[in-house]
Amino acid sequence: MNFLLQRSDVGEFRRRYRWLVLFVVLVFAALTVRLLELQIIEGDVHRAQARRNIVRERNLGTTRGVIRDANGRVLAANRPSYTVYVTPTKIDLETIWPKVSKLVGLDETEKAKFLTKINDVRAQALAERKSKDRDKRPEQQLLLKYDVDRDVVAWLETQDPSGVEVVPTPVRYYPYGELGAHLLGYMREVDADLLSRLEGKGYRAGDRMGAIGIERRWESYLRGQRGMRKLLRGLRGNLSRESVEELEDKYLEEPRRIEPVPGRDVSLTIDIELEAAIERAMRGQLAGAVVIVDVRTGRLLAALSKPSFDPNIVSGGQGIAAAVDSFRRLFADPLKPTLDKTVSAAYPPGSTYKPFTALAGLSDGLIDPNTEVDCRGGYEYGKRYFRCTGVHRRVNLQEAITQSCNTYFYDLGSKISIDRLAAIGLDYGFGIKTGIGVNPEARGRMPTRAWYTRRYKEAFRGGFTLLSAIGQGASTVTVLQLTLAYAALANGGTLYQPQLVRSIETSDGTVVQEFPPRVRRMVSVDAEHLNMVKRGLEGVVHDKDGTAYKERIEGIDMSGKTGTAQVTHVTPRGADPDKVWYFNRDHAWFAGFAPSKSPEIAIVAIIEHGGGGGKYAVPVAMRVVRDWQKLKEKRLSAQQSAAPSTRGTL
Amino acid sequence: MARDRVSFRVGPSVDMPLLVSAVVIVTLGLVNLYSATSVYVDSLQRARLADVYVSQIYWVVVGGLLAIVAAAVDYRHFERLTTFLYPAGLLMLGLVFILGSDIRGSSRWIDLGRFAFQPSEFMKIVIILMIARFVHNDTRTEPRTLVHLLPALTIAGLPVIAVMAQPDLGTSVIYVLITASILSMNKLERKSLLTIFAVIAVLVPVSWNYILRDYQKARVTSFLNPEADRTGTGWHALQSQTAIGNGQLFGEGFTQGTQNQFGFLPDQFSDFPFSVFAEDWGFVGAVALISLYAFLTIWSIHVASEAKDRFGAAVAIGVGSMIFWHAVLNIGMAVGVVPVVGITLPLFSYGGSSTVTCLIGIGLLMNVSMRR
Repeated sequence: MNFLLQRSDVGEFRRRYRWLVLFVVLVFAALTVRLLELQIIEGDVHRAQARRNIVRERNLGTTRGVIRDANGRVLAANRPSYTVYVTPTKIDLETIWPKVSKLVGLDETEKAKFLTKINDVRAQALAERKSKDRDKRPEQQLLLKYDVDRDVVAWLETQDPSGVEVVPTPVRYYPYGELGAHLLGYMREVDADLLSRLEGKGYRAGDRMGAIGIERRWESYLRGQRGMRKLLRGLRGNLSRESVEELEDKYLEEPRRIEPVPGRDVSLTIDIELEAAIERAMRGQLAGAVVIVDVRTGRLLAALSKPSFDPNIVSGGQGIAAAVDSFRRLFADPLKPTLDKTVSAAYPPGSTYKPFTALAGLSDGLIDPNTEVDCRGGYEYGKRYFRCTGVHRRVNLQEAITQSCNTYFYDLGSKISIDRLAAIGLDYGFGIKTGIGVNPEARGRMPTRAWYTRRYKEAFRGGFTLLSAIGQGASTVTVLQLTLAYAALANGGTLYQPQLVRSIETSDGTVVQEFPPRVRRMVSVDAEHLNMVKRGLEGVVHDKDGTAYKERIEGIDMSGKTGTAQVTHVTPRGADPDKVWYFNRDHAWFAGFAPSKSPEIAIVAIIEHGGGGGKYAVPVAMRVVRDWQKLKEKRLSAQQSAAPSTRGTL
Repeated sequence: MARDRVSFRVGPSVDMPLLVSAVVIVTLGLVNLYSATSVYVDSLQRARLADVYVSQIYWVVVGGLLAIVAAAVDYRHFERLTTFLYPAGLLMLGLVFILGSDIRGSSRWIDLGRFAFQPSEFMKIVIILMIARFVHNDTRTEPRTLVHLLPALTIAGLPVIAVMAQPDLGTSVIYVLITASILSMNKLERKSLLTIFAVIAVLVPVSWNYILRDYQKARVTSFLNPEADRTGTGWHALQSQTAIGNGQLFGEGFTQGTQNQFGFLPDQFSDFPFSVFAEDWGFVGAVALISLYAFLTIWSIHVASEAKDRFGAAVAIGVGSMIFWHAVLNIGMAVGVVPVVGITLPLFSYGGSSTVTCLIGIGLLMNVSMRR
């Protein structure tokens, strides 16, 4: 072995060393540059991310505002409710499970079914545990029972068995059930689809919001604001309270806590007892609607659409399954219980429209109170013959209204233009949305000559005007529109903005906002003409010839007009003929106000496919007005006995 | 190289810069391991990790003793010993498949009762010695061709295949890089150089399609696109970068790094100790640590340059490259410029076999340095 030779061999390496050093320096310099980027340039971004990693925001729930009626009765409130969850990997199947399952009231098949679910989850958890990441995933929980009884909650809270959890889930509660459900609305869950449309309004998946009615319209007031509390994630083991606080002081940024703001309470103009009266009066009728408005303010005192639904069930108060099932049945029902028939549906007004035709005739000078028409059971116009409800012989205006003589109004219709009829309709708010604000509102229709030409693509025929004059043809109105128009007749021509909400209050009762009556328009009408029409309306109830006379209740003073609206029902192909006869029957109307001399309320009742207005709608309206009077007297005497020293004026 | 030997040498021939830098890195590693395992927000986790710190001290002591042995015996004896060590190492790698305990889907360890031992780690030293021996005996002066290098490629190839089969991608990559680093000291014929590049160009797609396992591919794909995989491997890489970035200039302070404390760093003591360190001590600390590795690497090149024979020089380059590639790949993985492969930070990461191997390497380096 030659020592010198080895030295020269090392020499071969020598020229490489410099390059190696350069390479090493460059590589480490590159890493340093990357560190510079991460720690100095992007440092703030990563610090923020690191903080986000360890901070969790927990929601502090708020309470939804209460809805009350005009007399302070609670119509919608929140009921505490508790849901029981089971953690399959933690529950003791030998001792705890039999007790708990019995306590929440499962029957044998339900028990067996749930037990298989528990075992499935257990098997799954076992498989996951074997693989990896066992403490990353939160324990899966199964919903055992929704809305358990209070004594069950008490037992579970005192025993606190492992693997069973009770979670408070407040539920919206509607003490009056179906009564006025369309007005109040119900609660629905905010799903993914809805969430994307509500972006930026602070909703989260699983939240609940008002679906229709007041709950929907006043959602932003009722809802309140959720609070928030920041927590540190991942604290485990037995940490002292001081050290947790120390950590929180160090890592949680202000604001660390935001208190929830409870929702505002909403007081309605509705009188729930009047709603109950309507419900009683409507028993025996399948479908229809009644609206009562204060003619002096335009406030809605009651509005009921039948058939109704139970907002408690559809809001999920009896569990998701019950809500889904209920919805399925509601949407399948041909009587359309989900439709608010007071505002969302438009019907031909029939004879209830005659007073407006008469006012148009009077103001244009086409008729006067003494104009008489000889009714022989119909009216010949062109090649067509228009039928009347009977043979009324010679009738003047008052008698024509009282007896609902079509011939008189056909004659008037032959003299007036259809556009004039539409114009007076618009004056009284027909064909325009009333702006009540809850539920999708139907506009109704006051057909004009232009409308007919556009619709039928042929020459306009005078017969259309004759039909419009008696509220048939293409004219449609909503129940609310008709009620407000009759209120305008009753109060001398003031068309009010309909109101449902009287005031908004904070949860401690302070009034935040009040809603005084608002006039939509003053209809220019000659007082004398109005009185002539009103005399006719009074006769409908009080004269022996009046169409409502037979169904009147002794001692009840009201005026109004009956109507029988012909239905042009398109029978669906393949429909069962035994079932569709109902849908071909006429709608029964009554529209009026009470008392006759100094009116306070306007009331309109429609019985869908009820038949003759005099026979079917009048009794309903009569009974409601009777109950309204009773309620008024009861409240008056209660007021007097409560405050005897104050002057007893109304 | 002009160097004031008196100021750096105590006693006959101890290489002080090498000793000091190695001791500093080991000490910092222990201090950092304490931080990584003292999870104060989670007392359960903390109790579970309490042993980690203590057992690493044992390994440092064991490794230190072995390093003294490795430094004391003249390295030329190792040259002769290598002919025995190499087959023994291959045998061990084979034994892993029979005796190996299966951890996370790959068998790397041989269970010896109280502790498990990882032959593939020690094999790094054996490969260094064996390649050095080849280089030492190859006294040609003309540029090498591939045919000339064939024995060396075989020496490295056998353990690479054995380790790939475990499967352990990281370690086999280290074997290849160490071998390539030592051989790069030789002159290479241009044609052969081009051939090597061509072979690599072919080998990459082939190994991607036929050799790499799915989880190994997943590491690479998630490295190229970490956002697409926020829960798996990509998640590890992102959390590591967040931790390092969170350190900013001066760090969160000793044991104060939240990413580590709140459990967002996976394998914080074996794969990602650098992230813990950079989060605690910031840019200043991280650059200091990187400088230590840079110094150690450059110093081992210096030792090689002063070695009195080719074997010594090749061993020094081999140990230096082992430290260099480990450090670069591990830190690169932590800062997100290299895919996540399980490569430890030498002298710093937790791990018995790895710590002992690195200390033996330092011992060999000292050996060469003392006998120049």
